[in-house]
Amino acid sequence: MFALLAVAWEKWVDIFHIKPYLLPPLSKVLATAWASRAVLFRESWITTLEIVQGFGWAMVAGVALAMAIHASAVAQRTVYPLIVAFQGLPKIALAPLMVVWVGYGTASKVLMAFLFAFFPVVIGTLGGLASTSPALIEHFRAIRASRSTTFRRLHVPSALPAVIDGAKTAMPLAVIGAIVGEFVGSEAGLGHLILEANANGRTDLLFAALLMVSAVAGVLYLVVELAGRRVWWRAL
Amino acid sequence: MSAAVSPPADVDSRRLAQREVAISVRRVAKTFGDRGEVQALEAVTFDVRRGEFVSLLGPSGCGKSTLLRIVAGLVASDPGGEIEVLGRLHVDVSDDVGVVFQTHNMLPWLDVEHNLRLAAEVRGMPKRELDPRIDELLAVLKLEAFRRSYPHELSGGMRQRAGLGQILALRPQVLLLDEPFGALDALTRDQLNIELLRIWQEMQQTVVLVTHSIPEAVFLSDRVLVMSDRPGRIVEQVEIDLPRPRNNATKATPRFGSLVVHLNDLMGVR
Repeated sequence: MFALLAVAWEKWVDIFHIKPYLLPPLSKVLATAWASRAVLFRESWITTLEIVQGFGWAMVAGVALAMAIHASAVAQRTVYPLIVAFQGLPKIALAPLMVVWVGYGTASKVLMAFLFAFFPVVIGTLGGLASTSPALIEHFRAIRASRSTTFRRLHVPSALPAVIDGAKTAMPLAVIGAIVGEFVGSEAGLGHLILEANANGRTDLLFAALLMVSAVAGVLYLVVELAGRRVWWRAL
Repeated sequence: MSAAVSPPADVDSRRLAQREVAISVRRVAKTFGDRGEVQALEAVTFDVRRGEFVSLLGPSGCGKSTLLRIVAGLVASDPGGEIEVLGRLHVDVSDDVGVVFQTHNMLPWLDVEHNLRLAAEVRGMPKRELDPRIDELLAVLKLEAFRRSYPHELSGGMRQRAGLGQILALRPQVLLLDEPFGALDALTRDQLNIELLRIWQEMQQTVVLVTHSIPEAVFLSDRVLVMSDRPGRIVEQVEIDLPRPRNNATKATPRFGSLVVHLNDLMGVR
């Protein structure tokens, strides 16, 4: 499929004489990517770190908050509506504010990745916690399991498949968050490289950077997917 | 009154009658809903003697499962009722009581051995005490070959057996069973009932079984408590004087047949 797409791209440009500053042929893009590999990998690494940190914090905070909401009726009435209301806000619009608040460096990008990834983690974890079998909850009561034991040995494993689902949704969103963060104001990263290439009319480099973005997103998603396979009882 | 409810004649039952009371239920009622709209149970009173096998028999929705959950301490009864289990006033789930429900109680992410260990581990049983017990249970329940299998790899009958095993590992003095084999096919169910009797005869627990199957109640029990439609109350007690040990041949005896017919009459089946 990828090969077919690659051939179609190459031929399309060739047959219709598309100007290279609009759409460079794939061969040119690949040649540029190879020539600029040092830059591409450097910028990719910066962006990857931003994404991973933002995603990591979203997992930690999202799971913790979902636990709190699940455990406490008060949190359910107060925190949960707040999160939902916040989710309604277009987070792209927050990017300039993040730069103002935490600066031009990577912190604002991590924060953007975090904001994008946070919500699906909370929703996934909440759904997982709520889906625990009522029969098994009663069984745990009947064997006199404490609240913490029931949580650790029943609720957590029951919720894991849904947490993984949340993480799978969250990871691509974290990528978007980091790139958006870089667009708004940055000195490094793939988002910065894309803007720079665009400004200089280097469409070939822009495409090479885009390929890197999707490669980074693909690899990171694969990591979540592979981690998720350890939760094999999801399909049962 | 028919012959079926006459006093027990054989020696075994007479000895049983003299045993001390293990479970005492006094005027236990239960209403559901904020304004007490639905009365599920109406002043139920009965005793179960130590080592006795008693069945609660009734139509679906008569509150027999609710009654079992109240005895287990999982559901609170209306004020005014009293339950004593092994001489102690019963308000919460107790360590002496094991409960097996209709749906199996196995965790899908644990293999058979670890599922069998679960309840005992949760109650803090030391490993050196639990290890030999698990080996013994795997043998008794014929699950040795499935020690490392996961619940989804087992048949329904094996799952229910392992579920029972998890509770037996607790060595509870009182075993409360809520249609533990209710979701299984008739053949598997008969087989498991025979195994249940064998285990009970060995371990001598006090058993209360909830069922809506008349032949099952007759086959297993020392005594059957017949419950009415909602609001549930106990309308009749029937001593089952069939000799033990019982097996498939028991079901072919005239006495078995007449007890089944008698219970059918009591439950209004014509």
